[in-house]
Amino acid sequence: MINIVCVCHNGMGTSMLAKINISNICQANNIDANVDACAHGEVMSFLPMTDVIITTPEIVEFIPKSDVKIIITKNILDKEETEELLVTCVKEYFPGSIG
Amino acid sequence: MQYILNLLLNQIFTQPFLLMAIVVFIGYMAMGQKFSKALIGACKAAIGILVMGLGSGPLSTNFGHLLTVLKESTGLQGAGLNTYTTMTASIARIDGVLGDGVGTSWCLYCLLLGFIFNIILVALRKYTRIKAIYLTGNCMICQCGISVFLVWHFLGTSMIPTIIIAAILTALYWGIFSTMLIEPTKQITGGANLTIAHQNMLMDWVSWKVAPKIGNPEVDDIEKKKLPKGLGFLQDSVLATLLVMFISTAIIMLVCGSSGLERMHELFTAGSAYKNPFIFLVWISVTLTANLWVLLAGVRMFVSELMMSFKGISEKLLPGAVAGVDCAAIYGFAPKSVVFGFLVGTVGQLLAVALLVIFKSPIVLIPGFIPLFFDNATVGIFANKFGGWKALVLICFFNGLIQIFGSALVVAMTNLSWWQGVSDYSTIWLAITWILKTVGGLIGITPVG
Repeated sequence: MINIVCVCHNGMGTSMLAKINISNICQANNIDANVDACAHGEVMSFLPMTDVIITTPEIVEFIPKSDVKIIITKNILDKEETEELLVTCVKEYFPGSIG
Repeated sequence: MQYILNLLLNQIFTQPFLLMAIVVFIGYMAMGQKFSKALIGACKAAIGILVMGLGSGPLSTNFGHLLTVLKESTGLQGAGLNTYTTMTASIARIDGVLGDGVGTSWCLYCLLLGFIFNIILVALRKYTRIKAIYLTGNCMICQCGISVFLVWHFLGTSMIPTIIIAAILTALYWGIFSTMLIEPTKQITGGANLTIAHQNMLMDWVSWKVAPKIGNPEVDDIEKKKLPKGLGFLQDSVLATLLVMFISTAIIMLVCGSSGLERMHELFTAGSAYKNPFIFLVWISVTLTANLWVLLAGVRMFVSELMMSFKGISEKLLPGAVAGVDCAAIYGFAPKSVVFGFLVGTVGQLLAVALLVIFKSPIVLIPGFIPLFFDNATVGIFANKFGGWKALVLICFFNGLIQIFGSALVVAMTNLSWWQGVSDYSTIWLAITWILKTVGGLIGITPVG
């Protein structure tokens, strides 16, 4: 089981839609994941229990340095692109979570 | 039989936490999800509704104290600008007359009906020319809460007509304006099949049309220029909210003087121990921000469950429709316009608030992070894309003025302690509010609540 967090400016709209997309992607690819969404101002409190962060280029600078894998995509709602990035990342770092 | 009817009508279908749970549960099942998943979603949605109340209750009490002191000391009517609190304030006005839970259930029924209307409008796109489905759930729920209030307040209608009229108005607004943005959004994202569905749609469209007349995007594209760093902390939504609350409370304290401060100590019973004015000020601003954060956490909990079903259902029913999504979805394509638009819009808003005070307007507004940031950043992206930085500066500044003056006019008509502050609600919904008020006046209705 991996923990994925989508990060946007307020954690209400974009990251929420991204969360829905990513839940569907995980389901389709048999990735055992728990997906959440938050604002970049709150991301610190998510870090200890997060494995992968998915966000956009302008937000990356607000995310504190840690061991969490960060996936950056210009269009966080583009399902194909996000799917490719996420599946590659999971295969490389969290192969155990693919069922 | 009587018992079951009473149970359904008074203890289930008018109880927002159960109603929301039922809606989410049906949504999941309609999408063919597992029973357990539907049940978990329903529970989370029910909890979310109650958490929202835990935030909005104290927030409206505490913010109300500030407004009371302002009114007593200066005679000025104050109102804050934030989307979520405008929904809860509208709902509270309905609840105040018709009883607890009524406003939220009306809001949810309006949301469901509005969503269905939006689907119908798109299904009939041959005739309506509406192609976009509005899917930004966090905006939709706020707008529905406000719509039912406006209709009920000015037309004095009962439950069913209120919900139907509000849903029609809201669905038309969703469909028409998000469809108008399909073309420019495509150009900004380089061909993504989505459109903006937010609360700044009219000004985004105006930027698309007007910006090319102001500047040349080839020469003046801000995304290709260097910008000074260091203002990034202003984009932290929690911190920026605290900062705005701190400055506003400080100004109110200064304006109201020592008698006002004494009155604040009386009203804020939980903070009466903080005799030092500065500590008291910090305590009030932190408390207001915390209340708002709890409210948002609640909305977040049920909105994600609700959006899950809405998205699934619309994709199933209307495979060809354009998805209308949150404005921040395009922020990755133009990060510098985001920051610059936000800053220029803030200057515009602050000037407008100063003008309200200088020209002795009976209403003053307290700016909020959501209208300041999300509105001006999005308008800024459209302006820069189609007219460069000069267009951005001019249009975002103008947008800041519109947000304040438009909102002040709406507050004068509705007497709400909060208003959206976003540009659509200072233009389109200013007009709708005025029309509802005029129609109500013509048929001889005294506003209720």
